[in-house]
Amino acid sequence: MLRIENLHANAGDEPILRGVNLVVRPGEVHALMGPNGSGKSTLANVIAGRPGYDVTAGSVSLDGVDLLALPPEERAQQGVFMAFQYPIEIPGVSNMEFLKAALDSRNAAQGRPELSAVQFLKLARAAAERLGLGPEFGKRGVNEGFSGGEKKRNEILQMLLLEPRLALLDETDSGLDIDSLGTVAAGVNAFAGEDNAIVLVTHYARLLEHIVPDHVHVLVAGRIARSGDKSFALEIEAKGYGWLTAPA
Amino acid sequence: MNASTAQAFRDSALRHATRYAPWLDRRPSRDALADATLPEPRCEAWRHTNPNRWYGAERPARRQRLDARGPPNIRVIPFEEADAEDRHRIGQHLNATLDRARYPLANVNDLLLDQGVLIRVPRAAAPAELLLGDLGGGYERALVLVEPGAECVLTERPAAPRQRVVELVVGAGATLRHIRLQPSSDAVEHHLVSAQVGAGATYRVAQHGCGSPLRRCDLHIAASGAGAEIAVRTAYRLGERQHLDTHIAVDHAAPNVVSRQVARGAVGAAARAVFDGRIHIAPKAQGADATLTAKHLLLAPDAAAYAKPELEIYANDVQCAHGATVGDLDANALFYCRSRGMDEAAARQLLVMAFLAEALGDAAPEAAQALLGMQR
Repeated sequence: MLRIENLHANAGDEPILRGVNLVVRPGEVHALMGPNGSGKSTLANVIAGRPGYDVTAGSVSLDGVDLLALPPEERAQQGVFMAFQYPIEIPGVSNMEFLKAALDSRNAAQGRPELSAVQFLKLARAAAERLGLGPEFGKRGVNEGFSGGEKKRNEILQMLLLEPRLALLDETDSGLDIDSLGTVAAGVNAFAGEDNAIVLVTHYARLLEHIVPDHVHVLVAGRIARSGDKSFALEIEAKGYGWLTAPA
Repeated sequence: MNASTAQAFRDSALRHATRYAPWLDRRPSRDALADATLPEPRCEAWRHTNPNRWYGAERPARRQRLDARGPPNIRVIPFEEADAEDRHRIGQHLNATLDRARYPLANVNDLLLDQGVLIRVPRAAAPAELLLGDLGGGYERALVLVEPGAECVLTERPAAPRQRVVELVVGAGATLRHIRLQPSSDAVEHHLVSAQVGAGATYRVAQHGCGSPLRRCDLHIAASGAGAEIAVRTAYRLGERQHLDTHIAVDHAAPNVVSRQVARGAVGAAARAVFDGRIHIAPKAQGADATLTAKHLLLAPDAAAYAKPELEIYANDVQCAHGATVGDLDANALFYCRSRGMDEAAARQLLVMAFLAEALGDAAPEAAQALLGMQR
């Protein structure tokens, strides 16, 4: 489903990714770990198409479609979703308006019928409730004045409504207290299914107690240094990253 | 009349023999105009807008049209139809709020007048709703007297006048909510709103819309009574090659006046926005509380915005804050929207709407949203 081959990317003039190879199949949950600056967030951002990165070599495809040739919105329409590490505040646009605009765009691109206002509200309210976002949530500006936990829950809400094929969760666990972590993880687990896949970018194994990965990869200096199953995450938790070095 | 310099324009205005409302005493205006220095290109108040383009613009033909309405108990009185009592009232109030030195162009208005209306809003059980649409298209004048304790919602939708002067007298304890809707036009326009706000009165003005080849809007609000409350909101979206110059001056001339100014402008290709927001706090205006924010978004590389906040404070018990920014759409916000599947045009539209919404407030009329391309 997601196939990354020999991906090299720079931020400005600085090489960050130096040959990433990764295959993600439907129904899988992958965890991407690694020390600060190893390129985890860059990888997620390059897949999602954030401006400011130059891909200098390699390829990224989703279901056979070359993602790197597409602008960010078309990647999203192909089924890529990135939950932002630092979700953006947009005062002046309500959460409901934003969600509706996003859903309408997806539906139009995928040839699906537009949801009626009633259908949409029902869907959005149910998802908000599941994530513990109160009734005022919909009227508030996008992430405006939200706590860190609310912002992260809002990202998961968007993911639930947009039903992506590939969800990239960029440090969705950072800044969450233990209760919020549980709520967010429950949302992610409810989403996980046979037709989609999840890539979790995280520093800590803590999240992986709630969302159990099939594969755990450690990125060092822009490459996957080592991969393993969920027990590998525990090993890292115990030993840190220092013993792992980038492959030659 | 078609004169392309201040001097030629003044001379032709002084020579103009009007047949409209001949009983109006025009001598004060004529004398003031003879003594006045009309704006010259690059003078401070017209630094970014060339007044010669206004002097030289064609005077539109007068349309036999008067689109002004109010509830049954309120008469909209064209000056031509004013009876002796109305004429007395007009004579008493016309030009009384005007700062002729600051707005010398106002002196030409009664000399060249095509259509003037008097509206008197008495105190009543329910707020009066008034509409001032097209008053004829040339030199237009409205004199609105909101009597003490009265409440009024005045909606203006000018139809590309050459000059419209609106004088507002908001009596003690009265409330005037004033909505100015300005669609795009092909005309060269000058607007002046001059409001005098009495003790404990509230004046809220919202001016929203687009531009024209040249549209200059002067808003002068003098809080002359203690405890008056002033709110000015303006949101505009300028299309290709449009030019909008907005000068707002709020004078705190009495104690304990609260004033707010919020401006948001989105400026398109080769368009130019000029914003000058001034707060003047007189020595006796202690306890003043005044804020002003003006933000502009440049939507194209050749868009331009000139924003200048000005504070003049002569009292010592004052809370005052101001800020002005000019910038592009936030790249991170743009990516956030696009990463959710919105194409670039939709994402930009959403962010422009969000930006302008900050100046619309909660009670923005749908018509304002429509003018700004914000239908949701």
